[in-house]
Order: sequence, then structure tokens, then C-alpha cells
Amino acid sequence: MPINLLLQLSVRNLFRHKRRNLMLLLAITVAVAGVVVTNSLIRGMQFDMREAAVANLTGHIKVLAPGYLDDPNIEKSFSLDADWQPEVPAEAIEGWAPRIRIPAVIMSERETRGVQFVGVDPSREGISFLGDVAIEGEGLADAADGRVLVGAELARQLETVVGRRLVLITQGLDGRNREAGFRIAGTYDAEGTGLEKQFVFTGVEALQSLVEAEVVTEVSIKLKDEKSEASIKETLTGFFTGLEVMNWQELEPQAAAMFVYVDSAIFIWFLVIMGALIFGLVNTLITAVMERIKEFGMLRAVGMKSGAVIVQVVLESTVIMLVGVAVGVVIGWLLTTQWLGDGIDLTAWAQGIELAGMRSVLTPHLLMQDIILVTVMSLFFGVLAALYPAWRAVKIKPLEALRR
Amino acid sequence: MSDLVVRCQSVSRTYQDDSVPVRALVNVDFEVHRGEFVSLAGPSGSGKSTLLNVIGGLDRPDEGTVEVDGVLLNELSESALSDLRLERMGFVFQAYNLIPVLSALENVEFIMQLQGVPAAERHSRSTAMLDELGLTGMADRRPGEMSGGQQQRVAVARAIVTHPVLLLADEPSANLDSKTTEELLKLLRRLNEEQGVTIVTATHDPLVMSYAKRQVRLRDGEIIEDSAHDEAA
Repeated sequence: MPINLLLQLSVRNLFRHKRRNLMLLLAITVAVAGVVVTNSLIRGMQFDMREAAVANLTGHIKVLAPGYLDDPNIEKSFSLDADWQPEVPAEAIEGWAPRIRIPAVIMSERETRGVQFVGVDPSREGISFLGDVAIEGEGLADAADGRVLVGAELARQLETVVGRRLVLITQGLDGRNREAGFRIAGTYDAEGTGLEKQFVFTGVEALQSLVEAEVVTEVSIKLKDEKSEASIKETLTGFFTGLEVMNWQELEPQAAAMFVYVDSAIFIWFLVIMGALIFGLVNTLITAVMERIKEFGMLRAVGMKSGAVIVQVVLESTVIMLVGVAVGVVIGWLLTTQWLGDGIDLTAWAQGIELAGMRSVLTPHLLMQDIILVTVMSLFFGVLAALYPAWRAVKIKPLEALRR
Repeated sequence: MSDLVVRCQSVSRTYQDDSVPVRALVNVDFEVHRGEFVSLAGPSGSGKSTLLNVIGGLDRPDEGTVEVDGVLLNELSESALSDLRLERMGFVFQAYNLIPVLSALENVEFIMQLQGVPAAERHSRSTAMLDELGLTGMADRRPGEMSGGQQQRVAVARAIVTHPVLLLADEPSANLDSKTTEELLKLLRRLNEEQGVTIVTATHDPLVMSYAKRQVRLRDGEIIEDSAHDEAA
């Protein structure tokens, strides 16, 4: 089959009706650029949700005592040996953070609230949201710091300020209540108020003193490369015998389900846009075929095979789709990186988007796999759209066409 | 190699025109020998174009057999018919039917491209053919930039550049003035006499008939006069 000839004919035929094909090209370009931009925003939202889930003291992998997730308290704790870190490739790990995280009641002079009381080593918390928050006053100095860091919203609810004392009541390992006063070192301002109301931090050694046990309830691990998650998890499972080693998908199933759902949503969104576009493409191609009935009749009369006729029509569709996709992808990429590169400020809807686990600035995230998907699927749709018009062209009887 | 290029035996073809059967060909027996220049003449509806189309494999007879260059057309699939037309026949249509997006040279090369002739050979044969038909300097012009006579000559060049066994021309002069028609007919006669191209043309133009060596007249789907038989008699 003379592909060069058919390609030459297809390209030149596209120039026969410049205005019509230009409009079609414009529609393809706008659709593809729109899909690229919206895909990048959806991806941004998706990665935001994952980052928020991982940064929310979860990490990519966490080591827990059995039963802690169902009943999180100091009894579901474990002690760490001096050499508690297993040998894993250092380049795969961003950081380790052992913590005590137990329920507690916090009281100011005026208000009482239920909170998660978290003992941390501040030098290791670069892997959680605590490493990014703005602090008014001071942060925790070290693992032995006996002051507390409370959320700004919680401080507002407790009607207290930096420097004042708060009383925290929690349960010790022996089952008896422990109560102690803690001075407020500082207040932290996380994105949204959910985290601020939930977590109160102190030094892990200070909290161990309060519960009178040198234990932790979790070791959180953040990875540099998520691809190594499965192998690291396997190594940790072998090392921390008798403990549960879980990844973020198991710890945050709702966020994980959303993550998977977004993959499907991107595909469905793409199908909707291209599905709408395909009608325009089919219509234009049918018009192009019907206008050239006599020409197709002549081609068939002089011996062009039906397969070659199909290829010619498919090539016309593919060529215009290819150009539209290329221009659309470039425009979409420029819009994503230049116009929306700094993200979209969603502060006005901060409360709502916090519930969805997103941040207040939505940063687009352009993935090569999405561009490949758009390109390959667009070309597939281009071929698909051409099949019916091509079939119409093949069904043209040379004799009838030549008589017109 | 048989001397017979076309053999039609008892060929009949009936059309439905608004549910009314129209007998376009009735028991036609017709033969064309290699090197002949035949004109099929007759008034509209006489069946001349139908006979030409049946010979060209563009239409199938209801009854009878059609052989072209020893190949029985009745038994061929559409695809095989397509191959036969590509490899052994040349067509000149009433409305030229050149491809508007291709230049004159590319139009002449077109069928050779379908046949898979190498580019260099295509180019040299097409250029030589255009020169031979007086179209030197027209190679890069598209059909829309040429006169009707020039377009028809390009169509003839496209049809014969592949050295077909049989050249079929349906009303080739219908859209031409008498001067251009005469030029075209001289060209066809020269091709017939010098290159031995077998030509069958359907026409109602007396000028075309006068240039053909053999005149076949049809009326109501039947051959009523054949100059070859008359001469033999």
C-alpha cells in the first residue's frame, strides 16, 4: 500500500477546506489543552491529598503495636532497642520518627478539650507537617522538652496564650491516670484548623516520664522514593517481629481510595471531552467524504483498493488529530507551568478543601504518563472517528459515483 | 498471447429505474482485438456506456460472460477486479476526474504509485508522457490551473503511461470544444497506431466515431451495426 502517496493526499486534502479544518483543529487543540490543564489540576489535588495523608503524622510506612489502630492507648505501645533502626538503603529513606501518641484531656483555666497528645523528637519531625508549620512563640527544643506546642485554633478555644500553663490528663502504662502541668512553648499554625485542634506536642522523653514507661506507640517512616515502599515494608516487617507494619494506604484507606478514584476520574474526564469532540470529527470527515464522492469513485475505478481508501480517510483524521494534539499539549503545558505554575489560591474555600484533605493552594502537577495518555488516546479516537466515514467512502460504488 | 483483448458473449444487463426494468444490454456478443480503435456509438440509453462499464469491470452483467485479456471477469471478486483495472486497463472519463490536490505530473504518476513503480522510473515515464502529449511546462500545474483540453490530455497521459492492455474512454470529448476534441482524437489515433494501444470509446460524437477504425452502433441495448462485420462481409 503506497503510504507515502496516501499521506500526501491526506495532508493536501486537509488544505482543500482550510477554514473548516482550521475550526476543527482549533476544537481539538482547545479540548486537548483543556484536558492537559484539568488533568494537571486533578493530579495536583490527588497528590495534595496523598501528601496531606502522609504528612499527617502517618508517613509512608508506620510501625505500630498490634491493635493500636482499633484502640489507640499507651497499653498498645512497644519499646525500642538501642539499635532499633533496621538496615535499609539510606537513599530510600527521608526520615524516621518514633513517637508516643495517646489520647488525653487538656484543660486551661476556662476550657477543656479532648486531644491527641503526641510525644516527639523535634529533630526528627521534618518528615511530618510539624516541620512546615509556622510557630508563634517557640518550638520544642528537643526530645526532653517538657513544654507543649499546641495548635493556634486549640489555644483560641482554650482561651489561652503562649507562656501560660495547661493541664493534661492521660493514662499511664499501669492503667492509672497521670496528670501534669505543661507550659505552652508556642502555638502552631497548620493549614486549616483540623490538625490544630487535634494534636498537642511535647518531647517524647517528657511524655515517657509522664506515663512512666520508656515506650513508643509508633515509628513513622517517610520515603524519598515511593517505588521502594514495598521492599522497605517487607524489610521492616521482618525486623519488627510481633509488630504491625502498615503503609499509608492501609492507615488512610479513605485517602488511598480517593487516590485510586482520581486515576479513574482523569480517564473518565478525558473520555467525556474526547467523546464530545469525536462527533465533530466524524461530522467533518463525513462531509469531506461526501464532497469527494466522485473522486473516491474515480480512485476505486482506476484500481485503488478499499483498504487504501480506508487508510486515506483514517490518515486525514489522524494527521489533523496529531497536529491538534501536539499544539494542544504544548499550550496545556505552557498554561500549567507558566500561568498556573505557582498554584491556585483556594484560601477562600479553605474549610471545605481541608475536609477533602487538600491544601489551600492547589498546585498543578503535570505527569508524563497523562500526556502520553492524552496523546495516544486522542490518536486512537482520531482513528475511531474516521472508521465510519471511511466505511462510507468504501461503500461508494465507482459507477454510481462517476455518474454524479 | 491471444489476439483477443475483449470478448463479450450473450451479455445482458437490466437496470431498475424507479422500479421499471430498463434493458441496457440484450444478448450482446462483442469482441475487440489487440490494436483496435473501436467507437461504441448510439443515442442516449442505447447501452454504449453500459457495455463500456461491463468491459471495464465497473458493472457486472446479469447474464453472459465478459473476458478481458483472457481473464473471465464474471468470476472475479471486487478486489480482483480492482487489481485487473489497475494493472491492465486505462480509463479516460468524460469529466477528466483528475485529483485536484495533485499536480499534472503527480496525477500522471498516481496509478504507477498504486502499482508500486519505483519513484525514479515513475518520474521519467510521466515526464516523457507529458512531453509527448504536448504538456511540457505544465507538470507543476494543478487541474484547476489548466484548460479542459489540457486536463483531458493529462487524463489520457495518466491512463496510458502504465501501458495498459486496454484503454477505455467514456465520452472523452463531451466537455471539449471541437478544436480540442480533434487534438485529443489525433492523440488517441497516434497512440493506437504508433504504440498499438487498444482503445474502446463510448461516444455519440460523429467526430470521435470518424477517428476510430471500427464503429459499433447500439440501439436499445443491441448492436445494430459493426463496421468490422460489414468489412468482413
